[in-house]
Amino acid sequence: MSLRCFTGFLGLLACAAGCTASVSGADVSIQDTAVKASLEVWGWNIAAASLEKLLPTFNERYPDINVSIHMSGTDMQSRFLLSLVAGVGAPDISQLQLVDAPRFGPSGRMMDLTDLAAKYEKRFSPAFWRNCVHNGRVYAIPWDMGPCAVFYKRDLFARYAIDPDTIETWDDYIAVGRRIVALSNGQTRMLALATQGLIGTFEILIQQVGGGVFDEQGRIIIRSPENAAALEILRGLLTSGIATPVDVFSHEYLASLQNDTIATYPMAVWFGGSIKDYAEPTAGNWGVFRLPAFYPGGLRTSNLGGSVLVIPEQGEQKEAAWKFVEYALCTEEAQLAQYRNFDLFPCLMTTFDDPFFDEPDPFYGGQRVRRLFATDIEKIPVLNRTEDWNQALRYIGQGLSQWHDKRLDHSAFLQDMERKLQRRLGRDVAPGPSQ
Amino acid sequence: MSQKYHMSLRHRLWQNRYFYIFISPFFTIFILFGIYPLAFSLYLSFVKWDGLTPATFVGLENFLTLFQDDEFHASLWNTVAIGAIYIAPMFLLAFLFAQILNSERLPLRGLLRTSVFLPCITPMVVIAIVFSLLYSAESGLFNFLIKVGNAMLPWGKIDPIPWLESERWSKVSVSILLVWRWTGYNMVLMLAGLQGIPLQLYEAATIDGAGRWRQMWHITLPLMRPTFVFCGIMSLIGTFYMFDEVFVLTRGGPGMSSTNFGLFLFNQAFTDFRFGYASAAAYTVAVGVFLTSLIILRWRKPRTD
Amino acid sequence: MRMHFSLWLKWALCALALAIIALIFLFPYYWLFISAFKTREKIFTMPPQFVPDPWVLSNFTDVFQMTHLAGAFLNSTIIALGHVALTLFLCSLGGYAFAKFRRAPGREALFAFVLGAMMIPMAVTMIPLFVMLARLRLVDTYWAMILPGAANAFGLFWVRQYIESNVHDDLLAAARVDGCTEFGLYWRIVLPVAQPALAALGILTLIGSWNNLMWAFIVLRTERMYTMPLLIYLLQGERRVPYGMVMAGGLLATLPLIIAFLFFQRAFIRGITAGALKA
Repeated sequence: MSLRCFTGFLGLLACAAGCTASVSGADVSIQDTAVKASLEVWGWNIAAASLEKLLPTFNERYPDINVSIHMSGTDMQSRFLLSLVAGVGAPDISQLQLVDAPRFGPSGRMMDLTDLAAKYEKRFSPAFWRNCVHNGRVYAIPWDMGPCAVFYKRDLFARYAIDPDTIETWDDYIAVGRRIVALSNGQTRMLALATQGLIGTFEILIQQVGGGVFDEQGRIIIRSPENAAALEILRGLLTSGIATPVDVFSHEYLASLQNDTIATYPMAVWFGGSIKDYAEPTAGNWGVFRLPAFYPGGLRTSNLGGSVLVIPEQGEQKEAAWKFVEYALCTEEAQLAQYRNFDLFPCLMTTFDDPFFDEPDPFYGGQRVRRLFATDIEKIPVLNRTEDWNQALRYIGQGLSQWHDKRLDHSAFLQDMERKLQRRLGRDVAPGPSQ
Repeated sequence: MSQKYHMSLRHRLWQNRYFYIFISPFFTIFILFGIYPLAFSLYLSFVKWDGLTPATFVGLENFLTLFQDDEFHASLWNTVAIGAIYIAPMFLLAFLFAQILNSERLPLRGLLRTSVFLPCITPMVVIAIVFSLLYSAESGLFNFLIKVGNAMLPWGKIDPIPWLESERWSKVSVSILLVWRWTGYNMVLMLAGLQGIPLQLYEAATIDGAGRWRQMWHITLPLMRPTFVFCGIMSLIGTFYMFDEVFVLTRGGPGMSSTNFGLFLFNQAFTDFRFGYASAAAYTVAVGVFLTSLIILRWRKPRTD
Repeated sequence: MRMHFSLWLKWALCALALAIIALIFLFPYYWLFISAFKTREKIFTMPPQFVPDPWVLSNFTDVFQMTHLAGAFLNSTIIALGHVALTLFLCSLGGYAFAKFRRAPGREALFAFVLGAMMIPMAVTMIPLFVMLARLRLVDTYWAMILPGAANAFGLFWVRQYIESNVHDDLLAAARVDGCTEFGLYWRIVLPVAQPALAALGILTLIGSWNNLMWAFIVLRTERMYTMPLLIYLLQGERRVPYGMVMAGGLLATLPLIIAFLFFQRAFIRGITAGALKA
């Protein structure tokens, strides 16, 4: 009870501050020594590194808040939940996958950020903000999103005389892939696509074409022609001989960034941060072309991943924790810095107007990739997730593995998935033309 | 009848007070951490609960869901399939090694015993990581050996094996690890069994002119039967509940292909946080495994023909 | 002469075969060992390196500097020893009572009750135990690792068997006449005699406790509490695994029990065999 009052009070304070200061985050220059704390933050690899790099500027403003960032690696979600249930061991702040956020709202173990965050709501992408709200209360702040495109190696494209601008549809993509495989005598494959990793590509494809798993009421809509179309593309990628079965982020995959085994990586924007992190010497050799469309004139982007920050209720330094979250996610300065340093694409849409988005990027051979990623971002169809999202994805991933192994027929597969999800999640199938 | 039997119960209790004092530390912990959770777990199997939001009573729904849950069925099937792959070779090796250790004249027995036994005392997590290196598709030793073999042998080429990357091979990869891990354990048990067979039996058989194979067939194998049955039950239970091996090596993948019951249960409990459902599954399988063990135990007695 | 030669040949072939088997079983240890001394890149070279080139110690210095390895080693040691000590205490005291107080009312029923519990797999009680420990605020303490398995039903059974057949009633009676207290009997007579059984049970408990990954994963929540297996497991971060450090840490987690085993081989094997007498 007292906590609720306390946060409410904080919220008032913050609002007062927010109303007087301008919306541009210029208040960063003011030093605040009122809060003393030592915070523990969990994040994964690139994200953790990105937060780490914000610390000097954060500490200019809050010299007495000491932040230590932990890269918490494997099973973070499992470990985070265990700590929530146990009431001990959760960090002061944690990164979560955007898709996990809906699960944590109802738990009551997250700090209620509604009042504190109210003034920032309008500046964030509504599609992402939605995932952070439960029963009208805000429990998380959106951090980054994952607009998708295809990363390619300039030297390989030059060697085989391929103009990336000619790739408009997935069929074009496959044709180019065949050419590269043939010209390189099979030494170079177009992309990495392992059985374990099909779900990631499937997620990109269904969101691109407007398919999905759940409708707005949380009913199952997996048996749709859009999803079947996505499967058709996926099968094309798998059976045309252009893919190598290397799992995403395996050591072979990371090694491929620096050799000629793989030519392109259809991925989300944050993948650029991984390239910089793992294969720095390749700077300048990378280029990006927009995601191939399903059909000429179709949408050429999608979304994969994205994350949020939450503050567990069990922490004892929530006031300071909010200061950090507010700085890292709600100021343009910090959001732009994170994009600049580690390719974390801001959910804070007010940053899109910054000239930074139109600067050429030397890492991509001077290409203006940021504007490319920002293009059509508002057109990406919303993927309804529900709190069962992870479980659903797991089932679909397992199913895809068999779909590929046994060359199952698309509609039979989707029908089977529908039955499985219905049984396991106890959700209804949406009525309507899903045949 | 001595007078003691007519003493009052109270008197007998008092006279044996040290019995109760001495067992009380054990029973305190035992009831708190053994019996109470068992009852709690039974309650949980009738509710839906994620540990965070309030639990709701769902009656038999958890048990009914089990019957329709493909993931659960797949995990049971995988458990049986993995067991079917590794138990036979492991038994053969363990029995062979136990025979070797039991025959005094053979050289290097100490080395054999030590090397085969060491996996029993090694942290599984470390071994599973080492095996994951060996299994690596592109740079693992196993595929390197296949390559070398292809280069050296003039006939048929074998493609490199996607040990951990394909649904077809993942069970085999787990099984190889299991054979390596558990042969020593079974070897030690079988050795103890062999040493329990009276030597006179063999002596008498030799006098009767029975050769080594006949001795094996008519003395060793029948008398080892209780040991075999015991090892079989332990392997069965072990395969159902093993965790570290698959958790570290394959995480149960690709797909569900190497998820045994233990990992399924862990995932339900501590990845999905479906405490109620996981409890129902744990109870159901525990009862099933227990009954199966009882059936296997019926074969324990040696034939009396 | 001929005879001798063929015998010798047979011996040599046997020795060769056994040596090969032993090498196959030891090979993963060899791989662990050399990988711990390779640079990260060299762990994945093709063809594989059978001898590290160059030999580096950086994996060890890194794993000590960048993780709480020393702390984890200490935690593992405290937990394993605590677990062993508590198990031995509970089982020997209880086992003695069950073995020698034959006329205590309820003895048989209580013992049957404990034996029945031996059939319950850990899997069934795992969730309630975790929830319970959380409510008792014992999660993330040594107690969470030590308490749940300490009242080992099998241990009680095993120690009782041993005491029943190795501690003689007249010895106890004589000591009682000399004025020894009941606890004194346990401490001065029963414990020394039961030593071999306790050693076997202790080793069995030690191995289980030292190698435990799953329970540590569930109940140890903060870095300063990690045990060796958990620390090594968690080093496998999501994307770039520091394999060199993993191997170095793994080697250090593996060595203590191997060294202990080389010194106390018989006791270890007896411990493992004992553990198997359950059914």
